[in-house]
Amino acid sequence: MTLTILDQVRKVASDLFVLPADRITAESSPDTIEAWDSIQHLNFVLALEEKFGLQLSPEEMEQIRNVGEAARLVASKLQNSPR
Amino acid sequence: MPIVIQPYREEHESAVREFNQRLQSGGAGDDLVFFELARPRWLPPADGSKLLQEYFVAVENGVVRGGYALKQQSFSFADGVSRNVAYYHHPLSEGIVNKSYAAVGAMLLKDAMGRAPLLYCLGMAGYDRPLPKMLVRLGWSHFLVPFYFNIVHPYRFLREMQALRGTVFRRWLLDLLAFTGAGWAGIRAAEGLRKLRTPKLPPFTVERVEDFSEWVDPLWQQAKNHYAMTAVRDFQTLRTLYPASDAHFTRLRVHRSGHDIGWAVVGERRKDGKYGAMRVGSIVDCWALPEDALPVVQAASAALIENGVDLIISNQSHRLWGRALNQAGFLISPSNFIFAAGKNLSALLQPIAETQSQMHVTRADGDGLPRNF
Repeated sequence: MTLTILDQVRKVASDLFVLPADRITAESSPDTIEAWDSIQHLNFVLALEEKFGLQLSPEEMEQIRNVGEAARLVASKLQNSPR
Repeated sequence: MPIVIQPYREEHESAVREFNQRLQSGGAGDDLVFFELARPRWLPPADGSKLLQEYFVAVENGVVRGGYALKQQSFSFADGVSRNVAYYHHPLSEGIVNKSYAAVGAMLLKDAMGRAPLLYCLGMAGYDRPLPKMLVRLGWSHFLVPFYFNIVHPYRFLREMQALRGTVFRRWLLDLLAFTGAGWAGIRAAEGLRKLRTPKLPPFTVERVEDFSEWVDPLWQQAKNHYAMTAVRDFQTLRTLYPASDAHFTRLRVHRSGHDIGWAVVGERRKDGKYGAMRVGSIVDCWALPEDALPVVQAASAALIENGVDLIISNQSHRLWGRALNQAGFLISPSNFIFAAGKNLSALLQPIAETQSQMHVTRADGDGLPRNF
């Protein structure tokens, strides 16, 4: 079974915030996850970089407001990355 | 308008001054100000030099919301390879006075990690401060660099060491020890006991030199592979860090049987409230084969005593330099001087629990040279 990028990003968030994956949705954000502060936000971005083998700038990091936006950004970066 | 982190240029200077004013009016400590000049006074970028400082600012629509500094330097590792490593320092975010900018601190660090894959932080004044708390949560490897001190003038130490004089009872007790001479006797007795363990050394000589020159390089080449990680300490680097024009430092060349065995840089620190009116000397930097650390430490201590200091301090990570300090009469004290390595640098230092005592980390690897001397 192939996981979608959103599913993979949800898994990264689930591992990082120590929450069951089914409680992480595209709308999950610092407003809904108590442990998601600015440092965990950086940890989240670093975990995404490692998982998907890409680099996100501080500006892109700042644009991520929820899990869904993170997945869209990852998808866009993967699409535009040289193969 | 998004926040963009970019190299600090002259055009940002007025915005940095306004940033500093907002921090101060928001209640930040007096020392929490960013550099008001875009070009670093200490270690400005120079053609071909790998030892330099760079500043970066976080800008939102022309308004500065934060900044940080990187000190770039070449380091040698146990595998014999030299790599550029950056020291991340002076990160400042508007988030400390305005929660709307709470994310800026993490953005600054993310930016630095992108610019300098091998990154470390040093000092930071203890684990209760925001930066080390952040680094620990990010999974950086970290340890405390041991702090050593040697009391040259016990009376002055007992009367002036503010960190020990926090309560009325303690002040009364320390004054009693100072005025009766009991403190002097106790400190000298303890020092004497420690020195009983000092091995008898072959004779060595010490020369005060005006400047470092080519004689440094064979020492560098001879000893560098004995350390798991050390900043390059060849003569060009030493001339940049301790230029002959800087009269704050005393440069020592240590010989034995006609051969150079090491060098040290010592200096008297600027007055600091926690040391009262004491004159505090520091073994700022030093180099030798680890087994030759003791004569270099003894030479450094003797020079500072001759210069008239009341107390000598030093931070040293290497086990054998620590042992040499103990043998020279120094005591070890709880340290708040943290070394923290980012993930990539940490990977080169594994297992860090073992490596930390084989690294050569001193105060000279931070940003304290211009600030503290």
